[in-house]
Amino acid sequence: MSKVIERPRYVCALGGAIGTIQSLPRAIPILHSSSGCGGNLAGALSGASGYNGGNYCGGQALPSSNVSERDIVFGGEGRLQEQIENTLKVMDGDLYFVVTGCMVEMIGDNVHAVTKRFKGEKLPVLAAETVSFKGNSYYGYELVLETLFRDFVEPAPVKDAGTVNLWGVVPMQDVFWKGNLGVLKSLLKKLGYETNTFFGQGETLENLKNSGKASLNIVVSDAYGIEAAKVFEEVHGVPYITVPLPIGDHGTSRFLRTVGKALGVDEIKVEKLIQEERKAYYPYLERLADVYNDLDFQRYATVVGDPNYTQAVTRFLSDDIGWLPELVVITDILGEEQKERVLASFGEYESGLRPEIVFDEDASSVVGYINRHWPQNQGQKYHKGFAPGVIIGSVMERDTAEQFKVPLLPVTYPISNRVVLNRAYVGYSGGLTLAEDVLSLVVAHR
Amino acid sequence: MDYIKHKVPPVREDRLMACQAYGGTCGDLSTESKKGCLYASKRTFSQTQGCQLNLSLGMISSMRDAVMVIHSPIGCGGNLIQNAGINKVFQKLRQESAVGLRWINTNLSEVDVISGGEAKLRQAVLKAEREFRPSAILVFNSCVPALIGDDIDGILDDLQKQVSAKIVPIHCEGFKTKIQATAYDSVYHGLIRNLVGEDNTAKPAVIRTPEEEIEHQAKISKTVNLLNVGSMSRIDEEELVRLLKALDLNVRILPSYSHPDDFTYAHEAALNVSICATHDDYFVEHFKQMYGIPYVLRTIPIGIANTNKWLRDIASFFGIEEQTEKLIAAETAELKQAIEPFKAEFKGKTAFLTGGEVRILTTAELLHNLGFEILGLRGYHFDKYGEILLDEYLEDVPNSEKAIFNIGSGQVFEQANLLSKITPDLFVGHIGVNGSAAKQGYPIFPLFGQSDDYLGYKGVYEVATRVSRILKNASFNKNLGKNTRLPYRDSWYEQDPFTYIDDSASIAARIG
Repeated sequence: MSKVIERPRYVCALGGAIGTIQSLPRAIPILHSSSGCGGNLAGALSGASGYNGGNYCGGQALPSSNVSERDIVFGGEGRLQEQIENTLKVMDGDLYFVVTGCMVEMIGDNVHAVTKRFKGEKLPVLAAETVSFKGNSYYGYELVLETLFRDFVEPAPVKDAGTVNLWGVVPMQDVFWKGNLGVLKSLLKKLGYETNTFFGQGETLENLKNSGKASLNIVVSDAYGIEAAKVFEEVHGVPYITVPLPIGDHGTSRFLRTVGKALGVDEIKVEKLIQEERKAYYPYLERLADVYNDLDFQRYATVVGDPNYTQAVTRFLSDDIGWLPELVVITDILGEEQKERVLASFGEYESGLRPEIVFDEDASSVVGYINRHWPQNQGQKYHKGFAPGVIIGSVMERDTAEQFKVPLLPVTYPISNRVVLNRAYVGYSGGLTLAEDVLSLVVAHR
Repeated sequence: MDYIKHKVPPVREDRLMACQAYGGTCGDLSTESKKGCLYASKRTFSQTQGCQLNLSLGMISSMRDAVMVIHSPIGCGGNLIQNAGINKVFQKLRQESAVGLRWINTNLSEVDVISGGEAKLRQAVLKAEREFRPSAILVFNSCVPALIGDDIDGILDDLQKQVSAKIVPIHCEGFKTKIQATAYDSVYHGLIRNLVGEDNTAKPAVIRTPEEEIEHQAKISKTVNLLNVGSMSRIDEEELVRLLKALDLNVRILPSYSHPDDFTYAHEAALNVSICATHDDYFVEHFKQMYGIPYVLRTIPIGIANTNKWLRDIASFFGIEEQTEKLIAAETAELKQAIEPFKAEFKGKTAFLTGGEVRILTTAELLHNLGFEILGLRGYHFDKYGEILLDEYLEDVPNSEKAIFNIGSGQVFEQANLLSKITPDLFVGHIGVNGSAAKQGYPIFPLFGQSDDYLGYKGVYEVATRVSRILKNASFNKNLGKNTRLPYRDSWYEQDPFTYIDDSASIAARIG
């Protein structure tokens, strides 16, 4: 039986699907759901994601059939048909995508039968049953990608060796998604590849449509986007690899080696790129040589959030800036197989670190794990606790950080106490940004 | 009104014949509304809105020392996530030791949908009790358990024997109504049934000597329940308390940001003072029925005219007209002098307002009084309480019959179309629709805010200063207007903004 969750850090499949579609260029989601679903999710997709707004078509602009009690009795297919017809007249998009809420699933509406009637028209109308009691935001992301790969991406028998696709960075759930995708795209460019990221700056639906000709799909996650990659492989014959989200020198160098190997790039070329990047990276960190050591900037850290970020931040803190991220709390709902893959990404640290990793969805549990890892002072004269400490987590850790009197840097979802525009934490450049943010917190907190 | 013995309150479509789709003018609406058939109109193209579950959370998630249980699949109540780290600040303005937002979602899965969600509900309530030991556990029921037929009242009755927190079931299933404001009834329904009155099984009844009893009754005879709203700031509350105290009244503030215990003696009051009929009619009518407490419900104290009306309604109940007139005279004389410079500044400027019926009509009167011409209004819904205020508005604001009146919750495509045609100098909007107007380049004054003052006499001055400030530099929105695009076809702007309102059923209802 699934668990009840105290302060979940994700919404339902419908919410994840809306967030994903509204992050595609000129795509229009059409909700076939109760009237409140979109409004209920808007805050999670905007305010909780660094004030992302609704992009082109989100928030209260989302077309929705708004089925109510009457439709529950008589069925909502007629209303959906009318809604799609009129959406095509009013809303200006290049791709329309029907997603569903719980109620229409329970009354047995067949959305595919309805959207099929729009096949062959000028504009594509896709559909996915994003039933919310079947999964959370991440499941919605997978479903949308799977549908796009099956029904929108065109078959391409001839592959282009110089093009790859990349996903696994989930819009909204990764608050820095847009900046991050941009950094990964330019990294791969340096390796000699054109990359479709589907959601990043400058991407087009045309690129997505033609993504079947890519030679490799790179899933930058050990948890998300993998089912979609299997579908892509099955439909378009493109293989995939999974690689952890990279932050800073150690993470990104591993990323480049893994991707380079999968693409058959000459090892010397990869190492040369890594050396060049390091030559740019370390002179910045070098600036801190005095202050880091004069003021003893090393900290214990607790890292809280999704599997993508927690492993990336842990490696960065441990191996790039020499901290002690000894405790990691992973807050997503994961299956056993996912947990195994995720756990494997927390290893091989240069520092020799062996962090304690726990899986727990409840926000209030974090306090207990910190107390277990660093037992509180029971009045002893000599005591070693979570000090000096820092929490890298989400805004939900605000109270926890206050309680332990340590600074908090919100990096994982939700983030409602920072405004996020094009900031990126991945890659070498993102490592410097993270170093800036986290060390600023330490100097400001003196 | 007597629905309290029922488990679930009626929806507003039935109880108030509330209308959610209309396009016309203020004058037409006043006429049409009296025919009573507007509730039947609908839209053939619609955009998403909120539901009564998320408005219920907006109203009462601020309750102190409470834990919310949302009995639903994982997405319902998603808006709470954006407030997770922030809400505490506003609670702390009421109580230093406040702990902020705590909620548990029952995370209903496919298995639960087939075999029932009762076990998860039990788990969640027991977890809330065990982890947080709150004074109250508010249980919000959603669409899915309602459709699978979970007997939540039965389970909660049973659980109440095991937990010391007071359990409050709130039946706010979204699909039951398109009038979000039904949420207010659902929340009040739960609060009245479960929090009001002493629980003599838990603690002994208070025993008073005859002298103490006389003193107690004297105090009650001068006590009012001031019913606040979730969108209201602490500064607004302070302004209203200031005015009521000037009339020698004791003030108890309910329901937003209250403590569960604040309700225990809520029936020990002489008068219920509402600031919003949309928000409170269910509560005050029931308190009148159950405890014989009369109420003041007509208007919200926004702007001079409506603040005066609000105070006079209260005064006439207590028979303190003379004292009140003195207060009004002193306050308005001082205020009128203070706002005089703004009148010249705003003269000839135009405004468009959108939000709840009560708030927009009174804020429109305020802006009119400051010199603005009001070009149009959009109400979330419209019912008999709006009708009363609209008629007063038509009287207070000359030549307002021709101004646009559009009814719809969200439905920003209609708003965008209207704004492309009537181009006001200022847009006054409810949260959720301001971003859309911003992308059309308009200067925007938010209709309400949890950190700012809007109400009472002070509110008039503060609104004037903020509007003046906002109009001084609208570059941010102008840039957005020039460089972004709303997701509508150009052809949409050429059409009638009310093209997708289908009132055939309402015409049929009128003829039939």
